[in-house]
Amino acid sequence: MMRMVALRLALTLPILLGVSMVAFALMRALPGDFAQASAGTTTISVEALDQIRRNLGLDRPIWAQYLAWLGNALQGDLGLSFATRRPVLGELVPRFLVTAELTLIAGLMALTLGTCTGLASARLRGRVDWIVRGWNSLLLAVPNFVVATLIVLLAGLYFPTIGIFTYVPFAEDPVANVVSLLLPALSLALTVSVTISENTRAAVLEVSSQDYVMVARAKGLTASAVLRDYLVRNALTPVITVTGLQMAALLGGSILIETIFTIPGMGQYLFESVTTRDYPAIQGIVLVAASVVLLVNVAVDIAYARVDARVSYD
Amino acid sequence: MVAIGAAMLALLLLVVVAGPSIAPFNAAKTSANSLAGPDATHWLGTDSIGRDLLSRLIVGGRGTLTITFVAVALALAAGLVLGLVSGYVGGKVDLVIMRLLDVVFAFPVFLLAIAVVAALGPTIRNLIITIAIVYTPTLARVVRGPVLSVKRWDHVEAARSVGVGEFRIAVVHVLPLVISPILVQTSLTLANTIFTVTALSFLGLGPPPPDPNWGSMLAEARQFMELAPLTVIGPAVAIVFASLTFIVLANGLREVLDVGNR
Repeated sequence: MMRMVALRLALTLPILLGVSMVAFALMRALPGDFAQASAGTTTISVEALDQIRRNLGLDRPIWAQYLAWLGNALQGDLGLSFATRRPVLGELVPRFLVTAELTLIAGLMALTLGTCTGLASARLRGRVDWIVRGWNSLLLAVPNFVVATLIVLLAGLYFPTIGIFTYVPFAEDPVANVVSLLLPALSLALTVSVTISENTRAAVLEVSSQDYVMVARAKGLTASAVLRDYLVRNALTPVITVTGLQMAALLGGSILIETIFTIPGMGQYLFESVTTRDYPAIQGIVLVAASVVLLVNVAVDIAYARVDARVSYD
Repeated sequence: MVAIGAAMLALLLLVVVAGPSIAPFNAAKTSANSLAGPDATHWLGTDSIGRDLLSRLIVGGRGTLTITFVAVALALAAGLVLGLVSGYVGGKVDLVIMRLLDVVFAFPVFLLAIAVVAALGPTIRNLIITIAIVYTPTLARVVRGPVLSVKRWDHVEAARSVGVGEFRIAVVHVLPLVISPILVQTSLTLANTIFTVTALSFLGLGPPPPDPNWGSMLAEARQFMELAPLTVIGPAVAIVFASLTFIVLANGLREVLDVGNR
């Protein structure tokens, strides 16, 4: 087991390295140069620019700059934000936690909705199957920011009095905090539920045709026992994998949703940083988000192998 | 399914090709008649500075869809080349290409798009380049998979034995056999790209104003949405219609071409 975890992580290492290079390159890709950008819009003399360049180490060869940056990043130093002049990591962590909470709630919603519709679709077939698949096609076509905008519009038109869109910090009131995240999470969850629903449907149909299910029915087990002990348990394994792999979609979607519902998470931070051209912050967010997605994928792989004895990475 | 999808696509193409000439009004012309409801002259009403909503939807659709088509065409070209080379040549080449694509794949698509557009600056050209980069890995993988099995088929061996060159084998004898899943994936990528383009514009990272775009129209309308709900519903429906077109088309193609669900 330990060997497998180590192997999976080792395989991710080169990709993580590539990710760090892309994040580093992003800062280099900006028009003009970094010294000028870090000075903001204020006009400064050539000497002062040279001074900034020396301070930032921009006079050294590019590989040395990359290694120095990577070394700092590994120690948790993602540089100073242009906008606030504070360490990026310190700004990032609390916002990351907010996004993590939002993503988690959205993930649970998507899992519940997706498995229920998928299961209904596969078990009941006929008209239910048609409705679920039509609903899924429609959901797939409605981007999450459109859902979010329409939710805000409907609430504004029909329930103008309730203040459901004010974010409440977790430390202030945990219950109100979760409640305030429900509608944003729903707009994130709808699209993701489609993938889960379709995979649940396929998995249940596949398991239903297995001999052991027929045997279970033939020996007189009740339909609900077959469903609970044979179908759901076996069909859920691939579904959990798919849910984990939707992390990237949820993280990406949270950028928009947080902006629309003004939730102080990583997405909103990215949006602010983009607006103020705060490159170290953008870089930090990109690095953290990609690393999280990669690590979640590794975790999903490992969980998959734990649950399904047939899968082995040795 | 394919027929419905094709009909919807035809409508979208009409908007792209005809654009301003079928719009009832000049989409940029403002008037004092702002946030008006729908009537006989302005079928969908007007926006916050009195521009005709229907005309803006048509002209904005042209912008949104042109970016989408060009970006996906580029991603498809890159994906075809990379996937074909990777799958057909195999070995170290395959390993290197796939690892490079894995790096792009590791980023949440939308996050990478925002970061790149932010770094390069929000212009139509940069938007197209970014989206092409972001969607190339998906398409390359879809090409590579079937190529891996088709290249072992007998007719490839037969072609090689009569002296057909490797390049010609790859393009003439392998590529046509893997085209079905590529068509389906391209259609799905078009739907995703509609989302990415409009979402970036929604965040203010789309083509700069005054070019209307469904995403930026939706963002602008949010301020006044309780006064004029149509200004929000119009672009929202347009976005959904466009992505639905490509999803319906993909599902139809999947049935017609008998491509399995992944």
